[in-house]
Amino acid sequence: MDYRTVLTTCTHCGCGCNFYLEVLDGRVIGTIPCKTSPINEGKLCIKGWNVHEFIQSKKRLTQPLLRKNGELTEVSWDEALDFTARRLKEIKDAHGADSLAFLTSARVTNEENYLFQKFCRAAIGTNNVDHCARL
Amino acid sequence: MSEQVKNRVKELLSSGKIKGFLGLCSRNGHIAPHLFVNADDLDNLVVGDKLAAGDSRYPLNRQLINLVRAYPDETFGILVRGCDERGLTALASWNQVDPNKIEMVGIACPRELALACECLKPYPESFVDGEKCEGVSPESVARIDTLQVKERFDHWYHEFSKCIKCYGCRDICPMCFCNECSLENNELIRTGEIPPEIPTFHLTRAVHMAGRCIDCGLCSEACPADIPLRTLYKKVADIIDKQYGFRTGYDGAQKSPLNFLGGLPE
Amino acid sequence: MAGLAASFGSGAMTNSIAELEDSDCIFIIGSNTTSSHPLVATRIFRAKQKGARLIVADPRRIQLATMADVHVRHNLGTDVALLNGMMHVILKEGWHNQGFIDERTEGFEDLKKVLDAYTPEKAAEITGVSADDIIKMAEYYAKAKAGSIVYCMGITQHTTGVDNVKTLANLSMITGHIGRESTGVNPLRGQNNVQGACDMGGLPNVYPAYLAVTDPNNQKKFESAWNAKLSDKVGLTVSEMMSGLSHGQLKALYILGENPMVSDPDTAHVEKALKAAELLVVQDIFLTPTAQLAHVVLPGASFAEKDGTFSNTERRVMRVRKAIDPVGNARPDWEIIKEISNRFGYPMEYETPEEIMKEISSVTPSYGGITYQRLEGEGLQWPCPTTDHPGTRFLHKDKFVRGKGLFYAIEFKPPAEVVDEEFPFWFTTGRVFAHYHTGTMTRNCPTLDSEIHEGFLEVNPGDAEGLGLRHGDAVSVSSRRGQMTAKTMVTDRVDKGVVFMPFHFIESSANVLTNTALDPVCKIPELKVCAVKLEKVA
Repeated sequence: MDYRTVLTTCTHCGCGCNFYLEVLDGRVIGTIPCKTSPINEGKLCIKGWNVHEFIQSKKRLTQPLLRKNGELTEVSWDEALDFTARRLKEIKDAHGADSLAFLTSARVTNEENYLFQKFCRAAIGTNNVDHCARL
Repeated sequence: MSEQVKNRVKELLSSGKIKGFLGLCSRNGHIAPHLFVNADDLDNLVVGDKLAAGDSRYPLNRQLINLVRAYPDETFGILVRGCDERGLTALASWNQVDPNKIEMVGIACPRELALACECLKPYPESFVDGEKCEGVSPESVARIDTLQVKERFDHWYHEFSKCIKCYGCRDICPMCFCNECSLENNELIRTGEIPPEIPTFHLTRAVHMAGRCIDCGLCSEACPADIPLRTLYKKVADIIDKQYGFRTGYDGAQKSPLNFLGGLPE
Repeated sequence: MAGLAASFGSGAMTNSIAELEDSDCIFIIGSNTTSSHPLVATRIFRAKQKGARLIVADPRRIQLATMADVHVRHNLGTDVALLNGMMHVILKEGWHNQGFIDERTEGFEDLKKVLDAYTPEKAAEITGVSADDIIKMAEYYAKAKAGSIVYCMGITQHTTGVDNVKTLANLSMITGHIGRESTGVNPLRGQNNVQGACDMGGLPNVYPAYLAVTDPNNQKKFESAWNAKLSDKVGLTVSEMMSGLSHGQLKALYILGENPMVSDPDTAHVEKALKAAELLVVQDIFLTPTAQLAHVVLPGASFAEKDGTFSNTERRVMRVRKAIDPVGNARPDWEIIKEISNRFGYPMEYETPEEIMKEISSVTPSYGGITYQRLEGEGLQWPCPTTDHPGTRFLHKDKFVRGKGLFYAIEFKPPAEVVDEEFPFWFTTGRVFAHYHTGTMTRNCPTLDSEIHEGFLEVNPGDAEGLGLRHGDAVSVSSRRGQMTAKTMVTDRVDKGVVFMPFHFIESSANVLTNTALDPVCKIPELKVCAVKLEKVA
C-alpha cells in the first residue's frame, strides 16, 4: 500500500492554485485544495477539483508516433527522436535556420520553456520561437 | 507539537495495530494531510494549526473512505476532532466504515476554534490532547432568524448569486459518499450555468444534508465565494433536531430519521 | 502585454491576487472573471463584501455584472472610446492626480489634447453606453483610494489590443492608481504558465527576462552562457509562422503542447499552413487535432508526472511536483528536448529540472534569487534578483520599471471588421466555467465534460424570435471565412445584435469564423470581434 498526497500547482488557468494530488498505489485518485496556499486558501473551482481526471485518461498518448505511408504509426523513442533530429538538421542545412520555427507552450514548466527556447536559439540558431500568449 | 498525539500514534504503529495513521504533516512549508506508516517517522506530525487554531483542517474522513474501500481488511488510525468523530460515527451508521477497523486519536479544540465554528461539541468522546471546552450555540443562525422574510431571502439570494458551481461544498464533504449526486442531475438542476439555478442548487444540497451534516464547516472554508453554507446547514440541523430529536453523529445507535438507504427509521 | 510594457516598463500584473480584496474600487473590463479566473473572483467578491465599488464593462451580462455598482455593455471593440470618455470626465471635473502626473509620468500634454474631443456625449455615441454611466464610472474609479483595474483577453484580442491596454495604463496614471498596495493594473493571464513561457524567452524578440535579441550586449551575454552563435534577427510570431508555412518560406514547425487548430483564428488557414510544412513535429499529451496532422508525435508527460515550476498570473513562481510516473512510455518534455538537442549535436547534460532552474537563475536577473529550496512554502514573486530578496508583491512602487510612466495619446479606431447588411451580427468568443482553452485537458475530465459537453451560441431572445430560433435549435453561423453549426442558447446575457460562442469545442469551432486581422504592434489576432450571419438550420 502506497498512499501519498503530493503538493503541486494547477494547470487549468493562470491563477496557479495549489492542491494535493491524492495518489494511491501509483494512481491519482483525487484533488484536495491546499489550505495554506496564498492564492486559493483551501478553495478551488470546478476545473481545479477535477484536474486529476484527465491525467490517466485512456486517450493519453503513450508511445511516439511516426507517419509511415500516410498513417501515424507507433515507433520506438529512438526512432522518433532520431527522425526528428535528422529532419531538423536536413532542413536547416538545406534552407537555413530561419526556415524552422518553434511553438513553445504556456502549459509546460518554466524549465521546459527555457530549454526549448535555448534549443531554438543556440542549437538551431533562430529566434523563430513563440507561444499562444496572445490567444 | 502534540507529544500526546505523537506518543499514541507511535504506540499504535509500532504495535502493528494499525496499517497507517491519517493525520497532518508539516512539509513543503505547508501543513499537509498525510498517511504515516512508520513509527519512527513522526517528527513532522502536527495537529493542523499553522497561524490560527484549526486553520489547516483537512477532510481526513473522506481520505479514510478512499483507503478502506481499497483495503477493507486493514485497520487505520486517524486524527479526529469532535466533528470528525461525529462524522465517523455517522459514516459507520451508514455502513461506509467499519468502526472496529478505525483507531481514533482525538484532540479537543481550543476555545478560539470552538467560537469560530460555533460548535455545539468541540471535543471527541475520548481525546489525548487539548482541554475540553463548552459548546457554543450558533449565533449566526439566530442572527438570520431575526431578519424579516424579505431580508432573509435577499441575503441568501445575494450569497447564492456568487456561486461559481465548483461543487467544492460536495467534493470536500466527509459525508458525501453517494455514487450519483442529485446536484449533477440535469433534470433537477440545469447543467452548464453559473450561478446555478437559485435557490434550487443550494436548497437541494441543504435538504440532502439534513440528518447528515456533522457541522465540520469544511464546506464553508472551501467555498470560493465565501457563501456561509455552514450557517445554512446548521439551520437544517436545528430543524431536524426540533422535529425528530436527532443530531447527526452524537449517538451511533440512533439512525437518522431521513435514513432512506438503511431502511425506514424506527 | 506589449502595451503595458510600453507604458510602465513591465507587462506583468502589477499587484498580487490577494491584494485585490482590499481595493475600494475594482474596474473589470474584458474579463469574465468568475468563469476564467475563479480564484481571482474570490477576491473581488470579498472586496465587494468589504464595501468596494465594482465597475464592470462587458458586452455580456457576466456573473460579476449582476453585483456591479455599474455595468455597461459597450459595443464590441469600442474600449478606447469608453476609456477616453472616462478620462475626459476625470480631467474636466478635476478628479485627476496632478501630483502623480507631474512627478512620475511623461507625455501627459499630448494625451490631454486627444482627450479634449471625447466628451461623454461623443463617447456615448460610439460605445452605446449612456453619458451618465460614463460619468459615474469615471467618478467611482477616480475618487477611489485604492483603485484596481482587472482585464483579460476581452481587452487584448483586438486589432487595437495594444491601444486598449495603453489606454487602461493612461487611466491608472492620470488618477495615480498604480504602484501601491491593492492599487494597479492587472492583466489576468489565461494559461497556467503563460507568464513563465514569456519570462523564459518563449517569444521571438526577447531572451529570458525580456532581454531584447537585437541588443548586442544581450546577444553577447547569452552567446557566452550558451556557448553558441546567436541570431540578432527578431523571429516570427505564431501568426507569421502560419503565413510563412503557407507561403513556403518556412519549412518546419515544432509544436510543444499547443493546439493552433483549435486556438488560432481562421482554422481553414491554419490547417492549410500546417499541411504545407515539410516537417511538423508535435509534442503533446493527447492526439489533438493539431497532432493528427503531424509527421511525428512525441508523447509528453502531464504536470502530475514531472518536477518543475509554473509562474502564475501574479508573477509567483511555484513548484510542480511529480506525483506518479509518466503514463505508458510518455516522457517529461524537458527530457525529450534534451534528447533531441543531443542528437542534433548541441549537447545538454541536465539530470533534473532543478539543474535547469540553477541555469535559469544564473542568466535571468528577475529569477536570480530563485532556488527550489526557497520555493517551499508560498513560492516567490519575481522580481527576485538575489537569494536574500523576499520577492515583489507589487510593481512600480516609487518608480516605474521604465523610469517614468509614459502616456500615449490614443484615438479610437473601429474594429477591423464591422457588421453590415450581409453579416449583421457582432460575434465574440470566450471561455465557459467548466473548460479551459482548447479543451485538450478539460474535455478529458468526465465531470467537466458532463457539466458542459458541447459548444453553443448565445443569442438574445429578441434576435432569436426574429430568426425563428428556439432554445436548442441548430443554427448555422457564417462569417467571411467559414461556416459552422451550433446549438442555440437563448439568453439575455448577450445584448441584441451580439452573439457569443465558447471556443473550446472543435466540433463547433468558433475559430472557423474569427478574423486573423492582427494588432500591428503585438500581432494578436482580433478574436473578440467579427461579423457573422445566422440562419436557422431546417
